[in-house]
Amino acid sequence: MASELKFLVVDDFSTMRRIVRNLLKEIGYTEADEAEDGVAALNKLRSSSFDFVVSDINMPNMNGFQLLQEIKKDDKLKHLPVLMVTAEARKEDIVMAAQQGAAGYIVKPFTKATLEDKVNLILTKLGLK
Amino acid sequence: MSSHHKTSSTAVVAPNEVHQRIGVLTRQLHDSLSGLGLADKVKTWAGELPDAKSRLSYIARLTGEAAEKVLNNVDQAKQHHDHIASETRRIGALIVKDPVAAVAKGHVMNFINDVEQATQQIDKNLTDIMMAQDFHDLTGQVIAKVVTLAANIEEQLVQLLLITAPGDVVAKVAPDELKGESVKIIDEPVLQGPVVNPEGNSDVVKSQSEVDDLLASLGF
Repeated sequence: MASELKFLVVDDFSTMRRIVRNLLKEIGYTEADEAEDGVAALNKLRSSSFDFVVSDINMPNMNGFQLLQEIKKDDKLKHLPVLMVTAEARKEDIVMAAQQGAAGYIVKPFTKATLEDKVNLILTKLGLK
Repeated sequence: MSSHHKTSSTAVVAPNEVHQRIGVLTRQLHDSLSGLGLADKVKTWAGELPDAKSRLSYIARLTGEAAEKVLNNVDQAKQHHDHIASETRRIGALIVKDPVAAVAKGHVMNFINDVEQATQQIDKNLTDIMMAQDFHDLTGQVIAKVVTLAANIEEQLVQLLLITAPGDVVAKVAPDELKGESVKIIDEPVLQGPVVNPEGNSDVVKSQSEVDDLLASLGF
C-alpha cells in the first residue's frame, strides 16, 4: 500500500518540516519522520528503513546536494527517490539536482497540489503506487 | 590670545585645507583597505547594500502577504463555522418540535450536506493557513544573508579602527582575537536562497511550471 510508505522530510526549518509532514498526511502518506540537515538525515536513513526522501537544499552541516550524493553512492540507499523541495531557483541548481539523481524538484513557495502531483508521479514511475 | 581667536583658529579652516584633510583621510582609508586586502571586498559590499534593501523589502512583502492570507482564511472559516452553528440550532429546534417531519421534509439531510460542505471548506482554509507559514523558511534564509553581510561589514570596520587607532588604545580596548593581523571574513554561502528579484534574471526559474519545462527539456 502506497499509504504505508515511510517518508523522511529533511529541512533545517522546523516550520517547513511540519508543513511538509502535514501535507503528506493530507494526501494520504501518514508515515513520516524528519531530520534537520543532511547529516541527521543520513544517520536516520542508515539506521532505519525509508521509502522516500523529501529534502531541502540550503541547510547547514550537509546541504541537500551533498545528501543526494551520499545517498546515490550508498548501495543500500541509492534506490531511494529523493524529491528536492527548495527555494533555490537557479537553473544550474535544478540541472545539477537532476544530473545527480534527484527524482523531482519543487521550488518554494509551493502548493499542496504540486507536492501531491510530484510525489504521486515519482511513486507511479517506480511502480510503488 | 582671546577665546574668540581660539575658537576661530579651530573652527574656521580654509576650503583648500579641508580638501587636503579629506584627501589624506581618503588615502589612509584606501591604504588601510588595500593593506587588509579588503578593497575588492568593499566594492562587493557596496554592491550588496542595495541588494540588502531588496531583501528587506522581500521580507516585508512576504510577511505581509502571509498575514493577509491567514486573516482572509480565518474570516472564511469563521463564516462557515457560524453557518454550521446556526443551522445546528435551527435543526435542533425542528427535531424537538416534530422529529418525523424534520426527517421527512429533508431538513436533516440538507443539514448533513451543509455540514459536509462546510467542513471541507474549513479544512481547505486550515491547509491554506498552514501553507502561509512557509514565509518563516523563506524569510529566514533571506534574513540570514543580510545578517552575514552586516556581520562582515562590522568585522572589517572594527579591524579598520584597530589599524588606524593609536597602539595604546588598541591594547586597552581590543579583545585578543582582534589584535592579530588576520582578517576574518564570514563566508557567504554558495547557495543563493530565495530569489528576491526574479524579473529580468534569465538564470532563475520563476514558477514550478518553468522547473518542469526545464527538466522535461533535459529528458527528466
